[in-house]
Amino acid sequence: MKKKRFLSVLGLIGLAAALLISGCSSQSSTQQGDKVELYMGYSSDPPTKKKMEEIIAKFEQSHPHIKIKTMTAPYDDFYQKLTTQIAAGNAPDLWQSDGTKVFGYAQRGAILDITDYVTKEISKDELNGLEFNKDSEGKYWGVPQGIQVGALFYNKDLFDKAGVPYPTADWTWDDLKAASVKLTLDANGKNADDPAFDKKSVKQYGFAFFGSSRGAFNILKAYGGGVLDPTLTKSIINSPENKKAVEWMVDGMQRKLFPNPADLKAFQSNFKAFLSGAVAMQIDIYAATTSMNGAGLNYDVAPMPKGPDGKRFAPVIANSWVINKKAEEEKVKAAKEWITYWTTSDEAQKEWTEVGEAIPVKKSVANSEMFLNPATKPENKKVFLDTLEFAGTIDTNAVFTEWVKVFTDNLAELFMDKYGTDEFITKTDQGIQKVLDDFFKKQ
Amino acid sequence: MQKRFPLNKIVGYLFVIASALIMLVPFLTTVFNSLKTYKQYMQFPPEWLPNPAQWSNYTTVWEQANFSSYTINSLIVAILSVIGALLSSSMIAFAFARLRFPFRDTLFMIVLGTMMIPGIVTIVPQFIIFKNLGLLDTLAPLWILEWLGQPFAIFLMRQAFLNIPKDYEEAAKLDGCNPFQIYWRVFLPMCKPSLATLAVFTFMGKWNEILAPVIYLISDENFTLPIGILSLSGQYKTEDQLLVAGALISLIPILIVFLFAEKYFVEGSKTSGLK
Repeated sequence: MKKKRFLSVLGLIGLAAALLISGCSSQSSTQQGDKVELYMGYSSDPPTKKKMEEIIAKFEQSHPHIKIKTMTAPYDDFYQKLTTQIAAGNAPDLWQSDGTKVFGYAQRGAILDITDYVTKEISKDELNGLEFNKDSEGKYWGVPQGIQVGALFYNKDLFDKAGVPYPTADWTWDDLKAASVKLTLDANGKNADDPAFDKKSVKQYGFAFFGSSRGAFNILKAYGGGVLDPTLTKSIINSPENKKAVEWMVDGMQRKLFPNPADLKAFQSNFKAFLSGAVAMQIDIYAATTSMNGAGLNYDVAPMPKGPDGKRFAPVIANSWVINKKAEEEKVKAAKEWITYWTTSDEAQKEWTEVGEAIPVKKSVANSEMFLNPATKPENKKVFLDTLEFAGTIDTNAVFTEWVKVFTDNLAELFMDKYGTDEFITKTDQGIQKVLDDFFKKQ
Repeated sequence: MQKRFPLNKIVGYLFVIASALIMLVPFLTTVFNSLKTYKQYMQFPPEWLPNPAQWSNYTTVWEQANFSSYTINSLIVAILSVIGALLSSSMIAFAFARLRFPFRDTLFMIVLGTMMIPGIVTIVPQFIIFKNLGLLDTLAPLWILEWLGQPFAIFLMRQAFLNIPKDYEEAAKLDGCNPFQIYWRVFLPMCKPSLATLAVFTFMGKWNEILAPVIYLISDENFTLPIGILSLSGQYKTEDQLLVAGALISLIPILIVFLFAEKYFVEGSKTSGLK
């Protein structure tokens, strides 16, 4: 029976190799002495990861009974990994969730209701964005980790070249379109006002918008329309206000003042159009400033334009700390200590602000010279803080990703002239309502 | 009078050179992109040549990410996978191709049937199994499955074994070989091209794999190259030129493996072991 012996030897070698490789790093038990080991997850890139590690080290120094173990990955991979871990009951005790995903985790029972902690231990007046994690029943599901808010970004060089005055706080969406006409140039340098303007060879556009937080959603809202009702379970697409807003957008696309989805594709990435200086204005969120500074753009920000009735809207995304529903009691306690440290420590807040990814959640730090520093672009950072006064969430709910997909897919077809405004409105209304019913009616 | 360069040959060469150039352009673009600054990378319309070339991108990538440990991890995973795939799959394939046992063909159909199941479906159960084995955040889940036989590899090797005439088997039997010796001494050496093909496939597959490492690995020091490179990208800002530089670095080992196995690849297109 030589073969059998050989096979078992082979098996043993394999097993031994497996043990050898796994042995060194097998998961240690949860507690070492009196220390609580807190398992924390966050998405990162090299600069944010470095900063977060520094903040964790400082936290561990001042909280010697807690040891933090981290799980991190780039944005997309992080959520893929997290989903598997939640399914397998192995998710971190505490993680940093994208603001658009908090209610999804909440409504699927993955995270802890922390209303008690928020109302008793967190001082609402000192924090930005706390209300954005409150659901329609008044429950709190997360505490902001960093705030993103939208504004109108504009390329100063392109405005100067066209001799158009910079956007102001009084701008309406029609003012924006009027400026776009002068800022849109064809290959011969003629602007869209010129009768000889060649629509087929536009090389510079006035204004670009895409996606949800950077796109049509904000315009619908400013026109008095919107996508979902306040309960976030019903589509309100079919309204005269929305129709007016959609017609405003389609008109801009058809006159080539705004790049349509196909034009944007030519830039490889939607963001590249503005970053490369081929678009004069764009709605974007605070985080975009890091890549714009990296690309050496000469730009500034203005508040989002007003709708016909003077209504304004800007999107806000409150990326938040959330606690695993299955975490053990002592870990929940440790997680809350971390959240308290994050939101109250000036040191942690300033360190995080330095990365430039988000508006600080602590109001005193957000209003400090450190954040508002006029020496770095954009000069007008105060716009972001003022915008928080009228900003709102982008109707994030448990099926956010699904309804946004219906919305943006249909918009893309509308902008490519596959059908007209009326058909868009009925089709999108039904599509979104179906997504909502599929989730909420089954519960 | 014989022309040294007949017209059809010249046309043929021109065609080959032209297509080689076409194939080369995207690769050169990648190389040039890896040498640009972020500002230049973002330019539209794009400029082809980096000006000036940022050789420091390569050192930046190497320093920002833990490249040497990513490379070692990737090598461990790829090499162990290749060994596992060659041994286990060829052994299983030999049984399916050459031995007679009950339900053999049914079992083989089941093995082939598992190829129809999309890998993503089995991720959560697999994750739970590896979790219970305490193998999370280790490299083991990335290569150990290869040691248990993979359907495609089994299929590939079975085809190779089926092509060998029965005479070899009978001759070996007369010489007193048992089935294992027949497999090890006669069949395996005759199937080197298939083994080389399998080795290259497995190596490339494991070298470029993203999903499993993303799911099983947690600590930075255990990352393999692809996710190590991906970890350079951010939610809000990605220095694409660094990603490209990282990807180019990770290409080198694949090139080396291919150069080594190329000889067998070419042999594979001839008949295997038959004169």
